[in-house]
Amino acid sequence: MSIVECKDVKKAYRQDHLFVQALGGITVTVARGAFVAIAGPSGSGKTTLLNLIGGLDTADSGRITVDEKTVTSMRQSELAVLRLYKIGFVFQSYNLIPVLSALENVEYVMLLQGVPQRERRERACSILDEVGLKEMYHRRPAELSGGQQQRVAVARAIVSNPSIVLADEPTANLDSKTGKELLQLMEKMNEEREITFIFSTHDQMVMDYARRLIILRDGLVTDDRSRDP
Amino acid sequence: MDTKMAWRNIWRNRRRTFLTMTAIAFAGALLVFMLSFQFGSYEVMINSAVKIHTGHLQVQAEGYNERKDIRLVVPDPEAVAAVLEKTPGIEAYTFRATTFSLVSSRDRTYGIAVIGIDPKGEARVSTISDIIREGEYFSDDATSQALVGELLARNLHVRPGDELTLLGQGRDGSIAATVVAVKGVYRSGQDEFDRGALQIPLALFQDVFAMGEAVHEVVALCTSLGAVPEAKGTLSAALTRLNENRPLVALDWKELMPGLYQGISIDLISGLIMYVLLIVVVAFSILNTFLMAIFERTREFGVMMAMGTTPGRLTKLLLMESSMITIFGIVGGMIVGGLVTWYFQVDGINLGGDVSEIMREFGISGRLYPQLSLLSLSFGPGAVLIITLLTSLYPALRVRRFRPVEALTYV
Amino acid sequence: MHLQLAWRNIWRNPRRTTIITIAVVVGVWSMLVVGALDRGMIDQMVRNAIATLTGDIQIHHDGYRSDPVIENSIADPKDVHNALARHLPEGSFWTARVRVNAIVSNARYSTGVTLVGIDPESEARVSFIKTAVVDGHYLASDDTTGILVGRALVDKFETKVGHKLVLMSQDTEREIASRAFRITGTFRAELEATERQFVFVNKAAAQEMLKAGNGISEVSLFLPDHETVDMVRDKLKASLPPAYEVETWRELLPIITAYLSIMDSWIFIWYLVVFIAMGFGIVNTMLMAVFERIREFGLLTALGMKPWWIIKGVLLEAFFLLIMGMAVGNAFGFASVFILNRTGIDLSALGAGAEYVGLPRVIYPTVYIQDVITANVVVFVLGLLITIYPAAKASRFTPVEALAHI
Repeated sequence: MSIVECKDVKKAYRQDHLFVQALGGITVTVARGAFVAIAGPSGSGKTTLLNLIGGLDTADSGRITVDEKTVTSMRQSELAVLRLYKIGFVFQSYNLIPVLSALENVEYVMLLQGVPQRERRERACSILDEVGLKEMYHRRPAELSGGQQQRVAVARAIVSNPSIVLADEPTANLDSKTGKELLQLMEKMNEEREITFIFSTHDQMVMDYARRLIILRDGLVTDDRSRDP
Repeated sequence: MDTKMAWRNIWRNRRRTFLTMTAIAFAGALLVFMLSFQFGSYEVMINSAVKIHTGHLQVQAEGYNERKDIRLVVPDPEAVAAVLEKTPGIEAYTFRATTFSLVSSRDRTYGIAVIGIDPKGEARVSTISDIIREGEYFSDDATSQALVGELLARNLHVRPGDELTLLGQGRDGSIAATVVAVKGVYRSGQDEFDRGALQIPLALFQDVFAMGEAVHEVVALCTSLGAVPEAKGTLSAALTRLNENRPLVALDWKELMPGLYQGISIDLISGLIMYVLLIVVVAFSILNTFLMAIFERTREFGVMMAMGTTPGRLTKLLLMESSMITIFGIVGGMIVGGLVTWYFQVDGINLGGDVSEIMREFGISGRLYPQLSLLSLSFGPGAVLIITLLTSLYPALRVRRFRPVEALTYV
Repeated sequence: MHLQLAWRNIWRNPRRTTIITIAVVVGVWSMLVVGALDRGMIDQMVRNAIATLTGDIQIHHDGYRSDPVIENSIADPKDVHNALARHLPEGSFWTARVRVNAIVSNARYSTGVTLVGIDPESEARVSFIKTAVVDGHYLASDDTTGILVGRALVDKFETKVGHKLVLMSQDTEREIASRAFRITGTFRAELEATERQFVFVNKAAAQEMLKAGNGISEVSLFLPDHETVDMVRDKLKASLPPAYEVETWRELLPIITAYLSIMDSWIFIWYLVVFIAMGFGIVNTMLMAVFERIREFGLLTALGMKPWWIIKGVLLEAFFLLIMGMAVGNAFGFASVFILNRTGIDLSALGAGAEYVGLPRVIYPTVYIQDVITANVVVFVLGLLITIYPAAKASRFTPVEALAHI
């Protein structure tokens, strides 16, 4: 049973007067509960693919379904709803809203979903405890280290139990020890909560953690292999 | 949470927010003061004109106001008085009769307006009894006496006690002549009036100018300027029921002194045009602040949109931020403007020789007192509020055009 | 090099530069237009007043101004004639008048007026009256029974050209003199009050009626160059006996002189207010521009750039913003004043209100070069002055602080 299906997805960007083919026909499926890394050199289309799956961007052709819903035919407002309930995002940096504390950042997603305040508070606290930020509730992003910020981002991404978390180079700005800890956290969440994780990386250490590795080069899948459990 | 976010966002750049608020407060305060100043002047102008010249309302024969013909009279003033007694909003009334006449002293002769006034009633309606500089006001049973404006007294070379000869034409076309003694000399501060009019008791006027019981004007003072329109309406309706062979009309101060009313309108309108220009300059000054606030935070908006925040919610957040800045600025401006106005309202403003000279032309003598009112306190800041919020709509709506991917890659 | 750098820097953010330039444009435009409107209005008021009867200079017997009766006449105008012949510059005109208060009446109405006895020929060159006649015709020099009356008075008296009016006034023997005249023409004036106030007859007729002999009340003169008014006044004063008063229009029209004297400060205050309104925008915009480039400035400092150069750089950027805004604002300002000046702003629809405030019927906005200079100096000098604040901020970023900033 697959959570993400991409069928012959193509995407080109216009850069000045040149067309750059970012994705040249990608066909992949990701099974529910997978822990997948998309790797490749920069410019290979990793971020573009994640953005398309997350409905942040629209494909030129092809079809993408997420949790049996066809993303490629949705309007902007429908995409916003899809992202709100089904998808969590973790970006490379500047993930958090700078004027909100760690706790409030996590709560904000639930606020958008209309979760009542008391429940919001409880769930945000427990998820922050889970990612190991028990003492950090009221710190603003600027008062947190890079690793701590990314943990808040992960907490925020999973707090509403999405079907899938998309993480674009989540460890790129972290040192290797902190990066490793973040990956372990993501792995733990994947196992305990059965949330599908798809992340992009060009870091060998990160690739080693993935149970499935999809390699992109010039917008095409050049390798796709699973590590046996 | 949105409110909390907006509040924290506006303080991310204290200096900028503070400067923006100050710009708005500056415009707000200036407008509060200027409008209070203008309204204050208008009130003095209207009141001094109403108290000396016309009263708030007059009942006259139709056509008298345009032609000032001695034959166009109110034949039975007591009937009008009875109507006025029953009209709500009327504080006091009096009768006057006016005609043009020659006045001669021993040395000099001038042509002036002779006004017959009822000593008792006039004291209730106009300020003339309070502005006597030399001599006295009429006693209730005054007979062959006259009150003279200061400038006329100087032109005629007369002082209280001196005799004046009046020579004119009666209502019936006959020669009208009498001798009166100067009882008092007054100064209204309005040169034209002080130079061109002379008051005698109404009874004497009616006798000399063959008026019988008739008068030209029934002058009424209302409880306030605001009470005038309603009183006029009631009065007009009641007058049509009086069976006079020539219809009587009720005229308000705007009709009696169209120049004053329109002059005020012109001053107000030209002031408003300048204020709008000023607010537009302020609006462009602060537009950059509002716009920069969104471009600096483009990436942040990208993240928020990725999380599922709708563009509408972002617009709302931005509008909340600009409203907060605006409202703080406006309130600050109202406080500062109000305090400054209040300070001058107590002490008055002395604008110096040249300005005072001009103000005297419009019946304002001495210090000027701005008048803080709900209108003057709210009108200017209200205009600033509306224009500023309209300005902030552009960036707030601009954010809807952001696409998540572009926003996320924006540097 | 510095100039190029600054110029390119301001166009790094075209939207922001455009907006702040618009703020300066609107500001400068409103400065010029409001200033030109005020100047145009007061100029017109002065012109009207001078043309109505005042002239550039008047000469009276010294008692006349406080007590304007026929007794206070210049009994023998010969002294005055001599002085005028000697001191008036080429191209000047003058006229002598009898001017007293009088009563005018017909069968139905009577009212107070100012009786002006004129010499029709010389009067035509000094005041408005000849060109203002709209019905009938101007006074002929030998017409001793003709009278010119304002349109408003004719309407009020329900009379017309050819009908009779009786004038009464006090003569030199303090008796009431009266005489009948026939309306030869009616005139229109800028202000309705003028139409109601003045009636014109031949000087000889007035002198005869008032038993004034050769006496005149005033001499009014019109100079080719208005700037020489004070000089001519002083010369005339010096050559006339002290029993004569010689006054310029400034002394004769105290209200208008008061308007004129507050005009400069009023316009300056308006400039300051508008400048403050846009000053906040300029400071904020420059601050933003500076803080955005904090790394760049830190880097420059690290490379050994002196603080003064950085200040100069930022000031240069403000210089370009101001110059652009001023250029466009002045262009728009001049264009709108030019258009308005050709058509004029017709206030006659405002009627009595304009008259009450003393406004002329049509305003022609007039650009005063001194106002344009003041406006631009205010914007430019104060604009650069307030930019010192963001510029000084920029010069004080230390490399460490700047590189730590994201």
